Amino acid sequence: MAKELRQIAIYGKGGIGKSTTTQNLTAGLVEQGKKVMIVGCDPKADSTRLLLGGLAQKTVLDTLREIGEDIDLDDILKEGYKGTRCVESGGPEPGVGCAGRGIITSIGLLERLGAYTEDLDYVFYDVLGDVVCGGFAMPIREGKAKEIYIVASGEMMALYAANNISKGIARYAKQGGVRLGGIICNSRNVDREIELVRAFAEELGTQLIHFVPRDNEVQRAEIRKKTVIEHKPDCNQADEYRELARRIEENTQFVIPKPLTQERLEEILLEYGLLDGIENDYRI
Amino acid sequence: MAEKVKKRKESTIAHSRYGCAIGAAYTVAAINGAVPISHASPGCVDKQYALIGSGYQGCGNGAGGDTPSVNFGENEVVFGGVKKLDAEIQSALKIVKGDLFVVLSGCSAGLIGDDVPSVVKKYQNQGYNIVHADVPGFKGNNLYGHEVVVKAIIDQFVGDYRGKKRKKLINVWTGVPYYNSNWRGDYIELKRILEGAGFDVNILFGPQSGGIEEWKTIPKAAFNLLVSPWVGLDIVKHLEEKYNQPYLHIPVLPVGEEATTEFLRKVVDFAGIDNTKAEKFIAKEAKEYYSFIEHFAKFFSEYWFGIPSRFATVADTTYGIAYTKFLADQIGFIPIKVIITDNPPEKYRESINDLFHHLSEGVSVDVEYIEDGYNIEQSLVNTDFGSSIPLILGTAWEGDAARAKKALLIQVSTPIENEVILNRSFIGYKGALTLIERVFTKAVGG
Repeated sequence: MAKELRQIAIYGKGGIGKSTTTQNLTAGLVEQGKKVMIVGCDPKADSTRLLLGGLAQKTVLDTLREIGEDIDLDDILKEGYKGTRCVESGGPEPGVGCAGRGIITSIGLLERLGAYTEDLDYVFYDVLGDVVCGGFAMPIREGKAKEIYIVASGEMMALYAANNISKGIARYAKQGGVRLGGIICNSRNVDREIELVRAFAEELGTQLIHFVPRDNEVQRAEIRKKTVIEHKPDCNQADEYRELARRIEENTQFVIPKPLTQERLEEILLEYGLLDGIENDYRI
Repeated sequence: MAEKVKKRKESTIAHSRYGCAIGAAYTVAAINGAVPISHASPGCVDKQYALIGSGYQGCGNGAGGDTPSVNFGENEVVFGGVKKLDAEIQSALKIVKGDLFVVLSGCSAGLIGDDVPSVVKKYQNQGYNIVHADVPGFKGNNLYGHEVVVKAIIDQFVGDYRGKKRKKLINVWTGVPYYNSNWRGDYIELKRILEGAGFDVNILFGPQSGGIEEWKTIPKAAFNLLVSPWVGLDIVKHLEEKYNQPYLHIPVLPVGEEATTEFLRKVVDFAGIDNTKAEKFIAKEAKEYYSFIEHFAKFFSEYWFGIPSRFATVADTTYGIAYTKFLADQIGFIPIKVIITDNPPEKYRESINDLFHHLSEGVSVDVEYIEDGYNIEQSLVNTDFGSSIPLILGTAWEGDAARAKKALLIQVSTPIENEVILNRSFIGYKGALTLIERVFTKAVGG
């Protein structure tokens, strides 16, 4: 029986650590012998740097632009850490064209070139910032990625973004099979962070799948263009990513999120002490 | 049921009787020597041609099926289309003979934010006669596009002018070329009667125009004459501001002797020129016109089997008001339904209603503004034409309703099928006679 391919999209506010988390998590999965492909869906094209050891990879769109339609899979797919397959969608030059449509083009091209082989266990789509337009929703449309994880932290804007992304997921969940698998908290060392994010996740109807603590090992590994697991396999942070990988591997809780109203989101933030409190609240 | 229909009207439009903004490619095609360049997806402009150019109007060099087009595809959407546009302009300048090129950018370019003006500017700086008009369909229909294109040519090609005005020179702005299917014949008749009344006429579009050399003299005209209920108001207001050029707005295209004579007197009066020549011309035209009417009256008064009396109009505002007024005021038919299909902006609707409320002494009809083909058909089918044979002035798409009502259908507005249109016109002194011919030819079984 053929293995079931799990296609997972990772969303979250810009700068929250989606790419770092995805690559470290991938390292955890390939350590267990899983076959993983990462598709970077971000014009910055920095979703596979740690797995490729910083090797400059030509993006799909750069390749299309320079070579044209007549390209091979090898031109755009590079193997990284322990056989991880890495693709960067890339984007047009800043200020020109439509990056959203670029994502759609790239994924379409990967399908045509046969990148989705049967031996794959996971495909991760690491999608920039937010579901800013239909193009960036591509991985969760048309039944591509069925599982979503949102990377968030205890910071207010990260939760706002997570809530907005949930709205996008709820929209597509009705027409396709896309479900939210959980919130990954990439800690920023905010007060009562774990309680806040857990409460937020529960309110959404999902779970806090793992709390990844803040650790300078991540920065040290990044400077060396490596995942934490490759750079320092014995450190505590490496185990945290292994734990995240295990929980995702074993996850069975997939839901259609129930996005919070603006008022409710603010209430939760207030409850956990993020907003300044009653003296700065001018509501009657 | 009625409620359902109302809901539909708000949510969908099927069989709209107008094109999208890039349909203004045919405004360009109507200028002698001008060539449109489409910065849009393949088929965009061609589809407009099929609708707006209905009546098999054809077109000159470098338009219709020959329109140079960037043929925007996925690559252009992702990476931007300006490189291909640049190449397309170079090729067009090399291959197509043209006095003026107009780049029309459509929806895709508008959505991804192509910087078209900078590409066009490069060629303008090299001395080419080329302008850019931003006409994505999401901004409006072909009537909106028409105004945008005209203003773009005035601003980017005709340019500034501070010299003297010529007292007898006037710019004429009227029906939208191609979309108002009789435009060529109408422009010929308007030029003929205005010249007959003593004016020099910049007609600007069509076979009698002097092409771009004529466009360059736009700022020298004493004033702008707008003969249209609302399309073109933006143009003449723009010219008023740009060249300090006043405008005379006559909302109804004149049809028949009375209206045309009144029209000419208004223009002469506004211009403040001597009216001797005009009155001489009017007398001559009236004499000829009424000799035909006199003969026609014999038939009209004696032949009454199958002659319609109640009629409905389904048309764009320009033709709708012109023909409805003529049939009501001069032929004595009873207007019982008017459906305006070109979605005039809200701000103009009160004045349009007013025109239909004063068709003739004591003759008035309420206007329905409907864009959706299904609702138009329903409205027509539910009209009570009384016991006489119904007459519908409409489009080819009124065919089913006309059959259901056993009505005579005269195609006067876009789209027109099964008819080839060259220089026909239903306006002025001569065109009115042609309109009478058509209506009564149908009535006697033609």
